[in-house]
Amino acid sequence: MEALRIESTHKTPRVILDPENGIFEFSGRSIPEDALGFYKPIFEWLDEYAKSPLPITHVRFDLEYFNTSSSKNILEILKRLEAIHTNGHEVRVTWYYDEDDEDMEETGQDYQALLNLPIELSVKIQS
Amino acid sequence: MTSSGVELLHSPALQYAYPLYRNMLDNSIVFMYHGPITPDIVVDVLGIVEERLEESGEERRVSKKLFNIMVESFSLTDEGKANESILLVRRLPYLYSVSIGRRIRTASVYEVRSYLDTVNLMTDEQIRSEYYRLLNDSEPNSPILVGGLPAISILDLARKSCGYLHYNFEYLDDDYSFFSLEARIDKMQQKC
Repeated sequence: MEALRIESTHKTPRVILDPENGIFEFSGRSIPEDALGFYKPIFEWLDEYAKSPLPITHVRFDLEYFNTSSSKNILEILKRLEAIHTNGHEVRVTWYYDEDDEDMEETGQDYQALLNLPIELSVKIQS
Repeated sequence: MTSSGVELLHSPALQYAYPLYRNMLDNSIVFMYHGPITPDIVVDVLGIVEERLEESGEERRVSKKLFNIMVESFSLTDEGKANESILLVRRLPYLYSVSIGRRIRTASVYEVRSYLDTVNLMTDEQIRSEYYRLLNDSEPNSPILVGGLPAISILDLARKSCGYLHYNFEYLDDDYSFFSLEARIDKMQQKC
């Protein structure tokens, strides 16, 4: 399956969904002008990927900030991953947060509470 | 002094500059924006405030919190190039305050006020539970609105500011009122 790569902008995150190299990553900020326009291709890619996923899919979320409109779209991504996991293909999510960013940590905890999906919260290592 | 110089000295625009400066200083306003809100402007404003916070040597935990509240506050402004909103950031000894102001339909005032009153009476656990419900139940990109405002953004601000949301409505005319909402961050408070 062809990888989906979206470069980051100052309003949208970088997205890499690359099964061949085992890289699944969302990083940066998300306050898109047209949230549906941005996230729809990601939903469609994941729906296709769900038909024949890798035995283990490890997804990294390393987001700087996002608004609630994006929270909902991120939940939709996670729900698709949850479906893959429930269907017997292991999915592991790592949710990175800055140790001083308690809101980003709390958002990760929200997703843990809402989903039946292994989500590990991990403090970012400062460079 | 030339006649144009005299004109400049007494120009109404200059007469407003000092009172505005004085008002900002007296009310500890460290940042103020008035104009249309678009995602590009949001990014620019956040960049300016981030730079000012770094310069001030503010604790990172507090800066992050303020930043996250600002990001969500923009969701409650009147987005779009044709509309105008204001955003104010105040820095007081023990707290930061982020306020937005915008026009809303006068017919929506009762609904928005009732919702804010309800949220202000909720416990942290009730707010979290209502937030989860809205996050889970609403369709992506079709948020549940309260008087034209996304309810989840109000709840998100209530969560992030650990408590009470201050608000005010000014009647403008039968069509529109001016709505302002303030979220505060207690610098000393750790997690809610």
